[in-house]
Amino acid sequence: MNQVNPLHLGGLLLVVLMFLFFKLHGIKEELAEAKSEFLVSQTLAVDLNALKSVYADKTKIKKSLERILGQKSIVAAKLHVKRDKKFVKISSQSMDAAVLNGLMGKILNASFNITTLKIKRLSDTKASLEMEIKW
Amino acid sequence: MIYKRKRGLTLLTRFKRSASVVFLDPQMSETVICEKGEKLDIILSPRLYWVKKMKLPVATVREVKKLLPSIFEDSLPLGHYSYYAYKSEDEFILFAYEDKIILDLILSKGISTTDIRSIHFAQSEFMDLEDAVSITDKESMYVKETLVVLAPSAWLTESRNLELTNITLSKHTIKLQQFGHIVDNKSLFKIGGVLVVLALILLVEIFVASAKRDAVLEAKEELFSKYNLQSTMIQNKSIQKKYSKIYKTQTKLRATIAVFLSMPLKQSQKITLLEYKNKKLFVSIKGVKKGSENTLLSKLNAKKLKYKTSFNGESIKVEVSL
Repeated sequence: MNQVNPLHLGGLLLVVLMFLFFKLHGIKEELAEAKSEFLVSQTLAVDLNALKSVYADKTKIKKSLERILGQKSIVAAKLHVKRDKKFVKISSQSMDAAVLNGLMGKILNASFNITTLKIKRLSDTKASLEMEIKW
Repeated sequence: MIYKRKRGLTLLTRFKRSASVVFLDPQMSETVICEKGEKLDIILSPRLYWVKKMKLPVATVREVKKLLPSIFEDSLPLGHYSYYAYKSEDEFILFAYEDKIILDLILSKGISTTDIRSIHFAQSEFMDLEDAVSITDKESMYVKETLVVLAPSAWLTESRNLELTNITLSKHTIKLQQFGHIVDNKSLFKIGGVLVVLALILLVEIFVASAKRDAVLEAKEELFSKYNLQSTMIQNKSIQKKYSKIYKTQTKLRATIAVFLSMPLKQSQKITLLEYKNKKLFVSIKGVKKGSENTLLSKLNAKKLKYKTSFNGESIKVEVSL
């Protein structure tokens, strides 16, 4: 016939409620944190993906550069092109200024990672070129 | 008909100590020693309850129970009452009792509530009593018009001792509400119900929030997989920082070259060297006299570029840090 004190029962229910409340509060905080982290990750992922496609996609960079170097006027300039694992070096002791102008216009308008560049005026129509592009 | 009980809570009686049936009356001074493992059946003296016998226009005890508080409403002193009823032939026997008073009496005799097997009314257990039985030296119990009542022994011609050894107890038992005086059952169920509903709402909220959190975490994992990201954010941020730096430098290089190429050069002025190394851009322009470079360099100032200049004859060398 022993019975439970209703105040104890009420107290227990209140403790359970408080536990559930704090649990809910904790999960909601976790949810807010997860959402915030997701948004940060999403922004980072999109940004990083765009940057990688520009500076880390070796195949894409190579293809784009080869297309420029393959143009008739530039092939005719007989540039010295040295391809390495991490970079490509393009140089010419003396080349036509107009061709150089066209080449640089294309290089600078694309998103190549130029690590070194040296253009020296030799005469009104001639110039020398040294350029290193990282890929 | 109502039999009133008195409120002197001094006593209790057990007539046969080896038996487990106990007669409980406040006027009796004996105490009960309950042996280990023994359970007690308690019979309440008429002094511990109020009783009414009446015909009612209802068929079942269940219906009667709903009416009990209003039936006893005008006849009971102020207190927290519990009620009980059973049918006897075509009439109902109705009871009202105070749990706390009975419990206090039980506890004052050293009986633990865990040692009680059942509690009965004297009315249901002694209604077939033929002779009066003495309860104390001064009082006896007898049946008057089918109701078990107490009366001074002096009023009765003869009375015998109460014998509980061979008594067969009825099925009419009550359960005392130990905390009925604190909060009544209805309020308790209402409060409990509200708290349980709140707990359920919180549980549902926890479930929903938990599911949302898991979905977001899953989406994040998919994001990492889709964009082929490194496993930690530190690694990814480091890579992003590296490429962002390259992007900024390359953008600035192109913008700075564009500034030099759009400079308003005179006929005699020519760019002789354009060199970029170690994040520095060097530009040499011939045909520039010292002191006349301000007009030439005004574009660099307009773009707020930081630069250094040096002269070698009529040739100026501009150094811009990117």
